[in-house]
Amino acid sequence: MARKALVLVIVFALSVPVVGIFAGGAAEEDGIVLQFPSFWVGQDSKAEPMEQLIGEFNAMYEGEIRVQVEPTPDTDGYRQTINTRLAAGDLPDIFIFQPDPTTMRYYEAEGVLMDFADELHGGWGDRFQESQMNAATVDGMVKSIPYEIGVTPIWYNTRLFEEAGIDEFPTTFEEFWEATDALKDAGITPTSQMTGGANAWTSMLWYSHIIGSIGGPDAWDRPLGHPQYEQAAEILLRLYSDGNTTGDAVGGDADVSGSHYLAERTAIFSNGPWYIGRVAGDAPQVHEATQLAPAPAVEGGEHGHQVTFALSNLAAAHTDDPARRKAVVEFMEWMTKPEHVAMITEEAGSLFAIEYEIDPDVDPLLSEFVRVQNEAPFTLTDMERAFPVAVIQEFGGAIEMMVVGGASPAEFVEILKDAAED
Amino acid sequence: MSSSETVQHARTQTPSEGVGLAKRVVGKIAKWSVLLFFLAITLFPLLWLIMTTFKTNAEFMADPLALPSGIYWQNYADAVRVSGLPRLLLNSVMVSSGSTIIAMFICSMGAFVFAREEFRGKQIILTVILAGVLVPIIALMVPYYRIIRSIGLFDHLFGLTLVYVAINIPISTFLLQGFMKSIPYELEEAGIIDGCGFWQRYARIVLPLSKLGLVTAGTFVFLFSWNEFIYALLLTTSFANRTLQLGIRDFQGQFFTNYTGMYAAIVLSIIPSVIVYVLFHDRIVSGLTSGALKS
Repeated sequence: MARKALVLVIVFALSVPVVGIFAGGAAEEDGIVLQFPSFWVGQDSKAEPMEQLIGEFNAMYEGEIRVQVEPTPDTDGYRQTINTRLAAGDLPDIFIFQPDPTTMRYYEAEGVLMDFADELHGGWGDRFQESQMNAATVDGMVKSIPYEIGVTPIWYNTRLFEEAGIDEFPTTFEEFWEATDALKDAGITPTSQMTGGANAWTSMLWYSHIIGSIGGPDAWDRPLGHPQYEQAAEILLRLYSDGNTTGDAVGGDADVSGSHYLAERTAIFSNGPWYIGRVAGDAPQVHEATQLAPAPAVEGGEHGHQVTFALSNLAAAHTDDPARRKAVVEFMEWMTKPEHVAMITEEAGSLFAIEYEIDPDVDPLLSEFVRVQNEAPFTLTDMERAFPVAVIQEFGGAIEMMVVGGASPAEFVEILKDAAED
Repeated sequence: MSSSETVQHARTQTPSEGVGLAKRVVGKIAKWSVLLFFLAITLFPLLWLIMTTFKTNAEFMADPLALPSGIYWQNYADAVRVSGLPRLLLNSVMVSSGSTIIAMFICSMGAFVFAREEFRGKQIILTVILAGVLVPIIALMVPYYRIIRSIGLFDHLFGLTLVYVAINIPISTFLLQGFMKSIPYELEEAGIIDGCGFWQRYARIVLPLSKLGLVTAGTFVFLFSWNEFIYALLLTTSFANRTLQLGIRDFQGQFFTNYTGMYAAIVLSIIPSVIVYVLFHDRIVSGLTSGALKS
């Protein structure tokens, strides 16, 4: 039996070269074929609207241009693959560009990324939000098109708030601590927090909101030695103390943080619109009870601002072939049409760096996102995009040090400062 | 011995026997407690995984440790439908088996030379090869990508197979040459007297005796190739050339993971490994323990 199985395995293995060499080659066809590796596939919330849009584009340009999606699930793996291909100087025709200090360096490299500046000046650029277009522009070059953005307000469960006798979301931290006491008295853990994952996501968003309240729109321009960071750390420490969050927040990742909110074990959370689908699908009662608000203001600080950032831009490999370049631009214009991104927003809950409107009858929570974004007096980016990777990698550990008493808020800032200097 | 002495003896024996019995019982309880504890911590993750596949995502989120409210088979249907599991499974079997066989073929020849032959620079060459164990595979992504691209094997299963072979050469050579060194040289000497040449010594004497070492090293290569993800993602683009690990990631979106569907895919994906283990477990265990004693 074992011998037969071994023979079978060997036959399989020896068939690899034969199958492998002849499989996978793309058939020759008329027109331009653009390869587009994408993680908006499989069970991703944007998979269906993206497939529809690309299908319509291919149908419209049949025989001339065909965009071929290469499904690449796993966003971390995608990032690593693209970074490898950037380093090897061999990029796919079109790809999702995640702007960070590593990828943005390739703006300066000659002949790697396609520069869309000329086409954007011809009117196409007018459809984008100015702040997002500015962020994607370096020395007049626009080598990635601003596309999906993140807005991360504070989420709260109105039903749990009612149980605790709280009518509305607090606007100051003084009111906020009273609200957390009321929630705890009602047996509800006030907030979801987390120190794990690559960036301690939920807590990093809270820290960004607090910094925005203390320092205003230009808060991140101040160096890490500025007192605002210590002041924000004191508030962050309190969010982890006195039962204001769950016991597993220390070391917990985004799933821990999110699942507590979904299971109504916590009443306050922070995340972007991409999480709507998850809440609606897995916890409809929470979806119905959730409303959004700006973070509370520190004493004398700003209120109403939101933390926003570019999530995914679209980029393309540089080409000297004018026909190919034209095909890429046609596709980019198609993908950024206001009615097309509105369709994706309505179906998948994502927000885009384009000026557009959505159907008012759409998901009320999604409308809430549009509302808080529109009402924000200013926006600032999250901490992850404001500091080098080393600082973000230390952030979760530094919170843990502070929470277990191994570091004071001042020392917490010192840890981040050391990481930045290293 | 009189009857009174016998009674006396029995009386003096009773307490020590009782103590001995108690000790044996306590010993057994302790032994079984330890064994059951390790059995539980070994089996619990697997049982939990299987149990979770019968839950909906909402149930899983509400209480990950609770029993499922009913049997929800849809996750298995999704595992097959969404990720196209059968094709990916076949690809994984071909790549893993292919890389294992090619690696064993190449490494056994290399190991034979390093273990049995003497030549100038042998130690330096061996050290250089074995140093490959210390290089993180992620550091080799750019060179491997360029090589595979330049030889036209990008998005081909054979390209991926070759990379897995290359990555596993250091560890397999290390294991096999250690194993071959333990085979008595007298056997080869007897072969030489009977007229065996270099190739025959390798193919007819050392290789058959290295079966257990080959199983051990081959298991490493197979498991690596079966579980590897990042090179499969980097070097293949079309569904026809994707492996199982990529299919499992289909359940993971940018901001959402269908855990119960993904776990069902994982359960299905481990079935072939379990079958291989059931068929070959005697050899795998013998291979792993064969180097324990010099004799």
